[in-house]
Amino acid sequence: MRMSNFNYLVKRGVGSVFRNGMMSIASFFVLLVSLLLIGLSVLVAMDIGVIMSNIEEKNEISVYVYGDVDQTTLNHITDALNENPNRLNVVFYSKEQAWEDKKNEMSEYKELFDYLTENPMPHTFRVTVKDISLISETAEEFSTIEGVEKVVAPYDFASALVNIRSTLTIIAGAILIVMIATSIIIIYNAIRSSVFSRSKEINIMKVVGATNSFVKIPFFIEGMFIGVAAGAASWAITKVTYEALVQLFRDDITIWRIFGLADMIQFDTVTWYVLAANCVLGALLGAIGTIISTGKYVRV
Amino acid sequence: MVELKNVDVHYVDGVKGGVDALNDVNIRVNDGEFVFIVGDSGAGKSTLLKLLTREIQPTSGRVFVNGYNLSKLRNRKLPYFRRSLGMIFQDFRLIPTLTVYENVAFVLRVIDKSKKYIRQRVPYVLDLVKLNDKAKAYPGQLSGGEQQRVAIARAFACDPKIIIADEPTGNIDPRLSYEIVELLQDINECGTTVIMVTHNHDLVKYFGGRIINLKEGSIAFDGFIEGE
Ligand SMILES: Nc1ncnc2c1ncn2[C@@H]1O[C@H](COP(=O)(O)OP(=O)(O)O)[C@@H](O)[C@H]1O
Ligand SMILES: [Mg+2]
Repeated sequence: MRMSNFNYLVKRGVGSVFRNGMMSIASFFVLLVSLLLIGLSVLVAMDIGVIMSNIEEKNEISVYVYGDVDQTTLNHITDALNENPNRLNVVFYSKEQAWEDKKNEMSEYKELFDYLTENPMPHTFRVTVKDISLISETAEEFSTIEGVEKVVAPYDFASALVNIRSTLTIIAGAILIVMIATSIIIIYNAIRSSVFSRSKEINIMKVVGATNSFVKIPFFIEGMFIGVAAGAASWAITKVTYEALVQLFRDDITIWRIFGLADMIQFDTVTWYVLAANCVLGALLGAIGTIISTGKYVRV
Repeated sequence: MVELKNVDVHYVDGVKGGVDALNDVNIRVNDGEFVFIVGDSGAGKSTLLKLLTREIQPTSGRVFVNGYNLSKLRNRKLPYFRRSLGMIFQDFRLIPTLTVYENVAFVLRVIDKSKKYIRQRVPYVLDLVKLNDKAKAYPGQLSGGEQQRVAIARAFACDPKIIIADEPTGNIDPRLSYEIVELLQDINECGTTVIMVTHNHDLVKYFGGRIINLKEGSIAFDGFIEGE
């Protein structure tokens, strides 16, 4: 197709957006709200992910070693722990160190320690994990290592975190699906009504020998134009809303203390990605709505 | 060239068990001919034209138009076949939101002509139908006769091998009907085949030429008569 004729179709498609004013405005706002909710849930989900992994990293499995093990066994345990695919960091905490720490911790009872001739503290390994949902399996595996006396892990806390995370994933997923479906339906309706309002024109186009793609292009332009416009607007509103949200958290000292804010995503660092994602998703939703409403052949 | 061989068209109609719109029709129209198709309402005239544009397919028999075997024509090729035809309808079928000029330019864009070609072709065909001074007007601002002339300009703009007109004078002042047929004859003289359906017998008697008379789906007469 010639550029000049393609340009003409683009002009007609964009013109159609304004001719079908009410329909276009309605679809624009529905898409805007959808993209906004999708964008915000993705950003918030990412923030929660960062906060969760911060919390996760502070959760460690303590692996206690029998008092009488020799150096070879210790090395063997170190290797075995390091070979576990779920381990993030393995820190050795020697019985001497533990003893020193204990004494300092209980300095008021300093005399008490003088009576003890032997160090009662065991060697310990502190292991942080990559995937907290596998913490009980990992702890189980550690307990089978030769020379390990006891393994302690924060099982309840871990499962609570896992629950929170999967609930949030489900909520975000549901928002995504509902919003995407709603957007496609509204675009479908808008393009369908545009097709009907131009049925005469389409009929003439077919009579004189327009190809199917030629007939469809203006409708794609129309749907995608609404999508991209909604995407750009949604980006601006996402920016304002998200920055207000970050500010809210920053001002609330309690939240700050619990979660720490150092790692919360700064909008400025992702602004172009958000804009691009919004426009691409908007255009995609517009295109899908148009595909469904125009079908293989444009029927009028 | 147009050729229909043993064509039957049966419309499936739930209530009465269907309608036989055409029965064993054989027609051959050579390039450059001007043919009137006449017949009462319901005789099958529009059905015949729909076969030629492949809006419908025959129940049996074969249809050839401009070298295309229409029963073997793929949907993908249909638009390119249609470009060898120019269609004119009783109800004009102009796009009301476009000017006269744009209505004609529109079909040239549809068949992907260049900007330069469109810029010289549109004034040429509008001149042919003597409507250059109405180029900026909208269809609603024109009389029926003028609108049909725009439609003729549009049909001719694509330089078709055949122009097919279904009752082109049906919606316009009888006095102006002659003008329309004369215009089609001018186009015919340039080498374009014209097939025109009408039930205006005065018009046919006045101009004469080849007449095909359809009666209840069959050809009752196919021959030449003298004009007045
Ligand atoms: N789409 C259709 N479905 C069923 N019957 C039809 C259809 N189109 C036309 N007919 C019937 O076929 C016959 C011929 O119609 P048509 O070709 O339109 O006649 P004409 O144009 O000569 O008036 C008529 O009896 C009409 O009722
Ligand atoms: Mg008819």
